[in-house]
Amino acid sequence: MLSLLLILLASLFFTGIIIRTKSLASGRKGPGIFQPISDVIRLFKKGAVYSETTTFIFQIAPSIYFASVIMAILVIPFGTTKGIISFNGDFVFFAYVLALGKFLSIISALDTGSSFEGMGASREALYSMFAEPAFFILMGSFALLTGHTSFYDIFNTLHFDSYISYMLAALATFVLIMIGMIENSRMPIDDPKTHLELTMVHEVMILDNSGFDLGLILSASYLKFAMYGALIANFFIDDLSFAIAIPLFFAIQILFAIVVGVLESFMARFRMSHNPQYIFTLSSVALLIFFGVLLVLEKLT
Amino acid sequence: MIDTYLFISSIAVTVIGLFTIGFVPSGIKAATNLFFVVITALLTSIPAIHVILNQPLEFTLYNFWFFGDIPIRIDALSAWFILIINLTCINGALYGIGYMKSYSEQKSNLSLHWILFLMFQSSMLWVCVIQHSVGFLIAWEIMSVSSFLLVIFEHDNKKTLKAGINYLVQMHISVAFLTAAFIWAYSATGSFDFKAIGHLFSLSPNIWLFLLFFCGFGIKAGFIPFHSWLPHAHPAAPSHISGVMSGVIVKLGIYGIFRMITFLKQDFMIIGEAILTLSVLSGLYGILNAAVHRDFKRMLAYCTIENIGIIGTGIGMGLIGMATGNSFLIVFGFAGALLHTLNHSLFKSLLFFCAGSIYQQTHTRDMEKLGGLLKRMPQTGILFLLGALAIGGLPPFNGFVSEFILYIGYLEGIKSLDIANSTLMIFSLASLALIGGISILTFTKSFGTIFLGSARTHLDHQPKEVIRVMLIPQYLILAVMISIGLFPQFYFTTVLKTIIPFLPVGSLPTIANFTPMIDIVASIGRNSLIFLGIILLVYLVRKAITRNRPVTVNTTWGCGYTAPTPRIQYTGKSFSKTLGKLFSFITIEQKKYVEIEPEEIFPLERRHSSHYIDFFENKIINGLVKKLVYSMNYFQFVQNGKTQAYVLYGVFFILLIFLCTLFKLI
Repeated sequence: MLSLLLILLASLFFTGIIIRTKSLASGRKGPGIFQPISDVIRLFKKGAVYSETTTFIFQIAPSIYFASVIMAILVIPFGTTKGIISFNGDFVFFAYVLALGKFLSIISALDTGSSFEGMGASREALYSMFAEPAFFILMGSFALLTGHTSFYDIFNTLHFDSYISYMLAALATFVLIMIGMIENSRMPIDDPKTHLELTMVHEVMILDNSGFDLGLILSASYLKFAMYGALIANFFIDDLSFAIAIPLFFAIQILFAIVVGVLESFMARFRMSHNPQYIFTLSSVALLIFFGVLLVLEKLT
Repeated sequence: MIDTYLFISSIAVTVIGLFTIGFVPSGIKAATNLFFVVITALLTSIPAIHVILNQPLEFTLYNFWFFGDIPIRIDALSAWFILIINLTCINGALYGIGYMKSYSEQKSNLSLHWILFLMFQSSMLWVCVIQHSVGFLIAWEIMSVSSFLLVIFEHDNKKTLKAGINYLVQMHISVAFLTAAFIWAYSATGSFDFKAIGHLFSLSPNIWLFLLFFCGFGIKAGFIPFHSWLPHAHPAAPSHISGVMSGVIVKLGIYGIFRMITFLKQDFMIIGEAILTLSVLSGLYGILNAAVHRDFKRMLAYCTIENIGIIGTGIGMGLIGMATGNSFLIVFGFAGALLHTLNHSLFKSLLFFCAGSIYQQTHTRDMEKLGGLLKRMPQTGILFLLGALAIGGLPPFNGFVSEFILYIGYLEGIKSLDIANSTLMIFSLASLALIGGISILTFTKSFGTIFLGSARTHLDHQPKEVIRVMLIPQYLILAVMISIGLFPQFYFTTVLKTIIPFLPVGSLPTIANFTPMIDIVASIGRNSLIFLGIILLVYLVRKAITRNRPVTVNTTWGCGYTAPTPRIQYTGKSFSKTLGKLFSFITIEQKKYVEIEPEEIFPLERRHSSHYIDFFENKIINGLVKKLVYSMNYFQFVQNGKTQAYVLYGVFFILLIFLCTLFKLI
């Protein structure tokens, strides 16, 4: 319950901080950090425009996408507090629930019959497909390290005591940040601020969404960011008391948001054809973690 | 005792059915077939259910003709497959009533078709229970031949006939492997009983014998590189036959492998690792090819290879568990495999039935010619979507349950095995995730191209929703699928009973031992329900809030372009093009076109075509066959068409036998 509340809170300012960082980096003052949320609230109050090509898929997809993110958040623990749902293998459920949301958002883009949206859908399907193995190797390695298979048990038995394990934590944080960026369609995979439909990935998929549905999609992506931030935070919270853990959680979220903002300010998006290779490299980084775990456990001699 | 009679009487029912279908008026042949299929299914399912609930059934047909005594054994494993066969056959027969309506003028052909369908069902059932080498091979052969004849229903179409012959030849290669293996077992033990094989396996390391069996059954199951019949036979067959073939006939290959594993006594580790590796590769190969093909039935056929791969990974995991005595791995590996066998037979037949409905309405299997069908065939569209979600392994459907079980097994393997197998397991884990990702790409592409957007070509006959008799079996399948997705513990406990024989001796085979495992599986169902609840809640909130909001309908945003045509929609081919290019060493694209010459100032109309070819079939098998045919040419003089020469061969043969007996060579 606690993690759900904290993630909801963090999602309120997360994207705002990214945008603020980017504005400051480019020498502008920029909007307030709650601007994205008030944008969503305004969208919630609006009516909708639907394309005449679309079917009911287009109307139910945003709700399912949003629900899938909420469901995924429910399994995330906070330090020594369990998530609302926790069972062995819950991270498999986490990944597959998110995949269901992605499936629906892809077909809802195809539902418009537009050439651009199909292109974005195809890219999104490809990139998120390549990110899956990295996540599973990462979690598989931690299952090996801790001997547990649920988020809660993994994070609770995870203690860093040797140099190798610090390196592992650093690598895992890197992989998670990158997966978070891919899942949220941000730099360096996708540029949300690009102006040409041909070069967009996620933005082009939701070109035809409007009103409440667009608000759902946007808030789902804010939540997703905070969700990955919470996952990263869990690596460091350990069994600290709430008085330290909760501020630490927000500090990590803010730091994550600033990192994203800085990355987006000083980096250009990769060429589309290089993206799959890049994403697949993440799997090899995840494999490094696996071999590191084998070292820690002295299986590798 | 009553179960024995019930089971034996099923063969009498089948024989009566064969004649009855021949004599009833052609309008009710399909319904008569359904009637007999259901009766046969009832007669065999009741004993099967009793077997699962109580203990195995065993009886012998004494002095049966020249076979000697034929032992019939129905254990929980056979019973599980019998139930899957019956469920799929009933659905196939029901769907076939509607699907074959458009062929009603081909009276004699239809008559044969339904007779063969009944025979096909019966032969599959007997394959699962006969434990006598010769009897098994005969049932296996009846199954292969009857399914071949079912495939070539449209035999006047050359392509169909070619695909059928291809299937027939490959099935006989499979039989050749099996016959060789059974002869080996017979000559070593002197008995046709399957128990003798178990005895043989315990005597000495007989890994080669297992390999022979694996090749034989693997061809039927469609593991790479034995898969090349699948992408030809499935598109060629009428859809209810493809559904049944993909749903059950390939699973009998899996049954055969499972049956042989029950006899296996040693070498678990090496066989397990080999099967696991081969299966992972099959899965990746199958789904990669499925992603790029535009013929939707061929796409489904490749997807079958993928799912056979997933089933195989479970078998491999279970074998590794048997080698290390880890009962957790055995349970999750074999249970995952057997449950996925059921799941795949459900969603694959559902998808083939949907594909059949599309084909019946549009007369094309090329998804690039379709589009926007969801508006014209809403029920088929929703069924296809739900089938696609299930086959992608997404919650809250049944595919997720079996894949989840396999994931848990891998994680257990990663934790408990030595470094080599731990690494193998993490690669399998990542591959299963990748397979899941590619299958999402495949099915978003297929569903999107066929059902969404607007129609890409003008069809002479506007498609409309298919008749009810074709939809009923699909809803039936859907109901079972959802029940597995939401209440997996029930199915899991049933499967547990079938895998007790695999567990190491000494561990008590009571359900109580499995409670923690059942709890894990039950939690998926519970959380899937919560997930459905959240979806419903979000949707209702959205509906309540937006009820009085203004809604405008306009054209799709086209970047300001005001004259859009359906032709500018993104095609399925371009959807998967990037993936195909990345893996171009496996998914080989062949293009045919004429380049524009520099001096061609006014180019004429020209054609561009591209299609993907099967790596194994074109690069390896065809090459081998070509070499084989080339060397065989030297012996062509033997077959010269002269009767005199053939008589001479006969004389030579008799002489040879005579001389050999004379000198006591044979």
